[in-house]
Amino acid sequence: MHQEHDMRPILKHPLNVRIFHYILLLSFLPLAATGLLLFFKPLSQEGMQLTYDVHIIAGIIMALDAVAFTIMAFDRVVLFIARVFSFSERDVKWFMVLGGYPQKFLLGKKVPIPPMNKYNSGQKLFGACVLIGGTVLILSGLVLWLIPHAAPRDTVWFLGQAHLVSGLVLTAFLPVHLFLAVYRFDDFKAMMIHGNVPYHDAAEYTPLWVKNEIAPVATNGEQLTSK
Amino acid sequence: MNKKKHLFAEDSFFLSRRKFMAVGAAFVAALAIPIGWFTSKLERRNEYIKARSQGLYKDDSLAKKRVSHANPAVEKYYKEFGGEPLGHTSHELLHTHFVDRTKLSS
Repeated sequence: MHQEHDMRPILKHPLNVRIFHYILLLSFLPLAATGLLLFFKPLSQEGMQLTYDVHIIAGIIMALDAVAFTIMAFDRVVLFIARVFSFSERDVKWFMVLGGYPQKFLLGKKVPIPPMNKYNSGQKLFGACVLIGGTVLILSGLVLWLIPHAAPRDTVWFLGQAHLVSGLVLTAFLPVHLFLAVYRFDDFKAMMIHGNVPYHDAAEYTPLWVKNEIAPVATNGEQLTSK
Repeated sequence: MNKKKHLFAEDSFFLSRRKFMAVGAAFVAALAIPIGWFTSKLERRNEYIKARSQGLYKDDSLAKKRVSHANPAVEKYYKEFGGEPLGHTSHELLHTHFVDRTKLSS
């Protein structure tokens, strides 16, 4: 059962991405919780007011995080968009077996999966939802918070609906994201701690990424060779 | 901090400059679309407000009685019943009183 694993570290999530992800995590969790409270309104008037204040503050933090990361790490944003919106026959095949996860969890069976790049097709779909939904949430949230009285009535109503739908979709994705994050524990540690995944994990889940985009670096920080 | 703890990293040059610019430009354009759309909506709304206020001024200029206290019915009320504007009877009858209903809700 135990095989020799290639534990050589590959940098998967650079420091700026990890910091961005941490702030996103710390702002989105209270946003999702307070968003649901604002939708169902179970608390007293004072409680709802506090919920609204927490929602606004967390929303500002998330918006500033997104804008700052877009400006300071524009290359990573472009790279992420290029990855997330790339589509090929392999993605169709991946979705036909849903990444082999249901077979693995329900039947204990391993089915062949097409080789994936840095993100698998499910992660790409989630990434697209986060990009589009997050942008809609931030822009609509700003209008709903700052100028609901000055913006046209129908526009405010439409933005309110867009805010609600985007928020619910992303909140629904959250438990799936958290479950799969912990399931892929090497990747979880890379995002939450040191940024590195072991070679064997990357080669198993993201073979195309390792084959096409990974280059060796020297331990003193200098580039050893180009590919 | 010069010492890196990883042995491999993404080759940063695999995304071509042409593709980088194309994706970046599309992203910036996609962000600009809702701003442009919202701005035009606001402008059209302001046009409507301007047209409405012009209409109100026009109505006003066409009206025979242009101020409420020149209304014969109001004049009659003060002469026969209310006494004088801001007087005690008028204050009791015409002023609106507000109740804080938030305290009444469960």
